[in-house]
Amino acid sequence: MIRKFLAVLAMFVWADVALAQSGPLRLTITDGVIEPLPFALPTFQPEGAGAEQVAADLSQVIASDLIGTGLFRQIPSSAFISPYTGFSQPIAYADWRAINAQALITGAVAVSGGQVEVKFRLYDVFSGGELGDGLRFVGSVDGWRRMAHKVADTVYSRITGEGGYFDSRVVFVAETGPKDARQKRLAIMDYDGAGVQYLTDSGTLVIAPRFSPSGDRVLYTTFESGFPRINMIDVATVGRQQITTAAGEMAFSPRFSRDGNQVIYSLSSGGNTDIWRTDLLTGQHTRLTSAPSIETAPSFSPDGSQIVFESDRSGSPQLYIMSATGGEARRISFGDGRYGTPVWSPRGDLVAFTKQNAGRFHIGVMRTDGSEERLLTASFLDEGPTWSPNGRVLMFFRETQGAAGAPSLYSVDISGRNLRQVPTVTFASDPSWGPLQR
Amino acid sequence: MSTGGYISAVGHAALIIWLLAGWGLSHDPLPFQVTEVSVVSGEEYEAIVAARTPNPVADAPITPALPETDATPETPAPTEEAAPAQPQPEAAPAPEPDTAPEEVQPAPEPPAAVAEVAPVQPTALIPPSAAVDNASTTPQPRPATRVADTPSLPSPDAAVAPVEQAAVTPDTSTEAETVVEEQEAAAPEEATTEIVTEAEKPSGAVESSIRPTARPRPQAAETKPAETPAKPQTPAASATATEDAVAAAVAAAAASAPAASSAQAGPPMTGGEKDAFRLAVNACWNVDPGAEWARVTVTVGFSLGQDGRVIGDVRMVSASGGNDAQTSTAFQAARRAILRCGSSGYKLPPEKYDQWQNVEITFDPSGMRLR
Repeated sequence: MIRKFLAVLAMFVWADVALAQSGPLRLTITDGVIEPLPFALPTFQPEGAGAEQVAADLSQVIASDLIGTGLFRQIPSSAFISPYTGFSQPIAYADWRAINAQALITGAVAVSGGQVEVKFRLYDVFSGGELGDGLRFVGSVDGWRRMAHKVADTVYSRITGEGGYFDSRVVFVAETGPKDARQKRLAIMDYDGAGVQYLTDSGTLVIAPRFSPSGDRVLYTTFESGFPRINMIDVATVGRQQITTAAGEMAFSPRFSRDGNQVIYSLSSGGNTDIWRTDLLTGQHTRLTSAPSIETAPSFSPDGSQIVFESDRSGSPQLYIMSATGGEARRISFGDGRYGTPVWSPRGDLVAFTKQNAGRFHIGVMRTDGSEERLLTASFLDEGPTWSPNGRVLMFFRETQGAAGAPSLYSVDISGRNLRQVPTVTFASDPSWGPLQR
Repeated sequence: MSTGGYISAVGHAALIIWLLAGWGLSHDPLPFQVTEVSVVSGEEYEAIVAARTPNPVADAPITPALPETDATPETPAPTEEAAPAQPQPEAAPAPEPDTAPEEVQPAPEPPAAVAEVAPVQPTALIPPSAAVDNASTTPQPRPATRVADTPSLPSPDAAVAPVEQAAVTPDTSTEAETVVEEQEAAAPEEATTEIVTEAEKPSGAVESSIRPTARPRPQAAETKPAETPAKPQTPAASATATEDAVAAAVAAAAASAPAASSAQAGPPMTGGEKDAFRLAVNACWNVDPGAEWARVTVTVGFSLGQDGRVIGDVRMVSASGGNDAQTSTAFQAARRAILRCGSSGYKLPPEKYDQWQNVEITFDPSGMRLR
């Protein structure tokens, strides 16, 4: 017994000595800081005549894309120690370290014959090396904004390790006129509010547009006939067609499946509202719920196997998840208040929703098992969240109070930081964020 | 019937009579407390809230300085950052939960008004001490772009640097041999301790905030004069490249003295020394809690020179919890933290160099995800 004890003791002593003599110093760090990463972006170098303006505009859009995420902070050029000499010149890392630039983006722009060519490089200043290889984009001069977004997407994904979302578009309802006679049109724009195009005229009331997963079509609800019906519009040709749904008085709240070949929606028939699925290729209709309560706002999981929806079967609107083929549903929302408009995150781990509690509206997220609920916003009326293509940002609309109240679009990071208004020319509501463009 | 039957019958009868007579059911009532409640109407409640809340925009964490009785009106006005909102003699109007915290900016105080406005005690609905206690136990974090372990207020005169440092100016009275680095004052960027979402912002509705009891002490008076160091200081992160070179030479000279003893292992590093090292890296480890790489734990290894600077590059030792892209991003963030905060050398005990020559740090962001 004593020998055993001594042996164990000896082992401990030996281990201790060994640790003290060799072995690295081991530490564990669990607390960091959360702050925007400072980057330097000297205005891209114009190569040849006529490229100055494009180079300046392009640099500005790249910077505002990055700053707009709330994850980056631009170091003003007035702080630069060494002037930026050229795209192919070696980098004086010490000068950039001195002003605490953690990332450096350099680039050059050439314009010839209606074509613009953009080259850029990204440097990790403190490790003194390039982050990824240099890249080159060529496109028409008219599409310079998209090229800027593409550069920013690349920078973003190389630094954060996630996909970007800048080269994407949003479809929404543009609203004009006084509150009691509001005219609503479908409109499409870049994620940052630029390049607005209208898809419908203001003759009929339209609501709730939803992008297809590939971004080529939009589903929406129209009141052309006086009752809500689901239409589909082709973004490129602006050609419209009505979706033939199952028989019922009202069809609304449509959404595409992941492959874009099926539509799920709410159908109201005989005073009961349930969720249906229609196959766009075969025209087959399938009823997914059959409760006497109201089931609405269905949204597919990214793998298409499940559907999250809103139902008042428990007495108040709550969120439920069921199989994509229907059947038993499990409730996931259990907090105070009413939950609605659930949208499954493209990453698959979260569900965004609108919550109404104690006279205020919130946009929030929870895990798909209902845990870790987090409210990100609070106002008189926040509604209709939609996910950025990388599942990092939520866009929604906020309506102000009173007779002059009007809706406008906002975005917020899923951490709850960086709430900002999306600039639009008109009032805007019901955003739906499309995929990253190719 | 047996005797047992009689006894049983008599016993039961007695029990029933005893219960029916009520003796068995009567007992002293259990002790309970009575709290008197009075009904308060909505208008009265508004009035109480208005009276208790002197200013809905006052930031709770900022504790106003104690009154200074001998201050003269000529003393300079407090800076804008430090100044709590001006005390209002009348009861403030009931705050509007929606707009007040977003739109109202604390206005800089005109110096004359500060000197002349006498502090007015709130109508004594609650004793002042209770109000202070209540407010201090629930500090509301301010929204700021930076979230760190220790909150810091913005400092307009100091450059932003990872580590706080005092301004140093060359002192002509020091000996000629003593090298004194000139450096700018630097302070960490304004920071809060947690993410403050809009939904968590204080509404200003039912909060009791501390009423400034007197004119706050001017901020300038609190600032200590820059101390003149007697020994050479290592340069700040904001030092220029030339200053770096000078500092490196100085540090090398300083390190040459204990070089003989550094061959021995020395006493083990104390917890305090390890903590100081850990805190130094903490300040540069920038975690993005919304990112997927915030699930990845990485362990990185590196070597330090005797001047506390990183030799060579930082290498990955192990990682868990993510795919290749997420692991790579987590590693980049860890490497950036080590290189950035160590750009002027980590301050470690030179006699224990053997123990910190090689370092392995595990970066575990799991606790940051829900901050």
